[in-house]
Amino acid sequence: MSVLEDREVAKAAQARRVGNAQTVRVYDVPVIVDLAKCITGCRICIDSCPVDCLAVNPETKKAHMRHDECWYCLACEIDCPKDAITVKIPFLVR
Amino acid sequence: MAVPVTQADVVVVGGGSAGATAAIRAQQDLPPGRVVLLEKAHVKRSGAIAIGMDGLNNAIVPGHATPEQYVKEITTANDGIVNQRAVLAYASRSFEMLQQLDRWGVKFQKTESGDFDVKKVHHQGRYVLPMPEGYDLKKILTRLIKRAGVQVRNRFAATRVLVDRGRAAGVVGVDVRTGEVSAIRAKAVILCSGASGRLGLPASGYLYGTYENPSNAGDGYSMAYHAGAELTGIECFQINPLIKDYNGPACAYVTGPLGGHTVNARGDRFIQSDYWSGQMMLEFYRELHSSNGPVYLKLTHLAPETLGEIERILHRTERPSRGRFHLGRGHAYAEDSVEMHISEIGLCSGHSASGVWVNERGETTVPGLYAAGDMACVPHNYLLGALTYGHICAENALGYASRVEAPTDEADLEDQAATEQSRILAPLSRPRGVPHHQYEFKVRRLVNDYLQPPKTANRMTVGLEYFQRLRHELEEVGANDPHEVMRVAECGFIRDCAEMAARASLFRTESRWGLYHYRLDYPESNDAEWFVHVNLKKDRDGEMVLTKRPVEEYVVPMTREELAGYRRLRVHARDNGAVEGVRP
Repeated sequence: MSVLEDREVAKAAQARRVGNAQTVRVYDVPVIVDLAKCITGCRICIDSCPVDCLAVNPETKKAHMRHDECWYCLACEIDCPKDAITVKIPFLVR
Repeated sequence: MAVPVTQADVVVVGGGSAGATAAIRAQQDLPPGRVVLLEKAHVKRSGAIAIGMDGLNNAIVPGHATPEQYVKEITTANDGIVNQRAVLAYASRSFEMLQQLDRWGVKFQKTESGDFDVKKVHHQGRYVLPMPEGYDLKKILTRLIKRAGVQVRNRFAATRVLVDRGRAAGVVGVDVRTGEVSAIRAKAVILCSGASGRLGLPASGYLYGTYENPSNAGDGYSMAYHAGAELTGIECFQINPLIKDYNGPACAYVTGPLGGHTVNARGDRFIQSDYWSGQMMLEFYRELHSSNGPVYLKLTHLAPETLGEIERILHRTERPSRGRFHLGRGHAYAEDSVEMHISEIGLCSGHSASGVWVNERGETTVPGLYAAGDMACVPHNYLLGALTYGHICAENALGYASRVEAPTDEADLEDQAATEQSRILAPLSRPRGVPHHQYEFKVRRLVNDYLQPPKTANRMTVGLEYFQRLRHELEEVGANDPHEVMRVAECGFIRDCAEMAARASLFRTESRWGLYHYRLDYPESNDAEWFVHVNLKKDRDGEMVLTKRPVEEYVVPMTREELAGYRRLRVHARDNGAVEGVRP
């Protein structure tokens, strides 16, 4: 077996042991919250979301889409008492 | 750390349609708080009809249809492989549920004389009853759950059933906001956790762009399996004709009675009935992949008033973002036919027949474990089936709970809960592990590659190897918060369902149910060997085993002619009049 092949065998074995590294990727998300209308402390949309993709943004204290996991069902938009939410069809679908 | 325990008499998993009626009915006979309802989302917006539903697809209204006719229709639609007693129990009890819904304030379409205004969509009988204000249904059910005194736990994801000497003894799960794992002990467990709707990958590539509410990830299929229950008809996949990319229903059930229908690119009709069956799906598939494709829902010939009525229904109830989707592409029903496609695969007995084996009492093969709704195999059961079987399960669970003693092996149940706690929370120890969405994308992409019909043994065998490998890869997936803990648990459910789908499809070496189980290597049906249910379960050694279960003698006898009724769905060329072309 050549040196190069030995090295590849060793690397392949190491690749199974080295653990994981991560990077950050940005997504365009479908749920847009109008911060001027959204009420601090209200959690109606967060409760409504069937897939738990909304949360309070710790920076603004308002609702935002935290996870790109939207069914574009409009529950948040329909249930918001201040008409602060607009749901777009997700980019991959529209 | 010891897992906190709540004591109850009946625990219901899932607060959608079946779970709501199960909990409400069970609570009627028990002290307040003794029925616990666990919901992964919030009961006000949960389950397959989180927003609402525009009609009942299988209403059996006296004067329009009889329970026996309905049983025949479903037996035919499911190529004869049905437990007729279970279908008949629905058919006999569902009108009582419909009247109950009417009293609860659900608005059904009625004629001028006050009768239910039933429409024809099925191949043979009349069963479709519009609910013009179907967006009220969730509000009504939520109010009833609260008023009944049910102990509701929202944002709680159940992950395993506790089992005491072969009997169901409760449930373990995790609060998806706090991350706390807890157990609910009960003599009877009713699983109502919906379809396996995140199994195949939508062609759009968007993981949550599914037909089913993506919250329904096959949780109940996996939980029943690990509790030792039999599942059945898993190879009879759910595949739906949907609006391309949007992946929501084109809604022939709504548009059909108003004059809409499915056509090919030439503008010609090619199927006689738009009712969803495997046979209809096979004709749809053939047209789509022929030079006549794509396929469209045609509404362009309808009057403006009719189109207005269609929009009022379709853009407000089941999937209200549909209008936004069409407008975004600059399409209008008056000028543009709606391009359709066939969906990725899922498991769902509400639409096809893949589910947990239940009898006419809603009992699974594990004592004390009941199942209702999309996850329980009562073929083509739809919304009214879920609501009706929720009731049936609750009645029988109450009877069972009053007869049996509570489990006594405390130490073993504590061990099971502790083991499950370690399993669910393990991803938190790998915050830099593989993200759940990458794992999920991979499983579901492999489901498309190897399980999407038409099926072959060669492809499915390769797929099965990947699904087994994915069992180990799940141990690389990490989580950073309780929400992600839930998602990783769902990854496990999805993988389990993929393995079940592969094994059940490999086992049945014939073709049946049109496209749902169309095998290129066994293209014909073989009644001599395969007029049976295919059931699967986890054996004592933890292996997935498959068996044939005979189809019980029919309680509603069928002639050979009746059984073959759905095999003649294609419109032949000579039947086609000249139809105006469709602008693609």
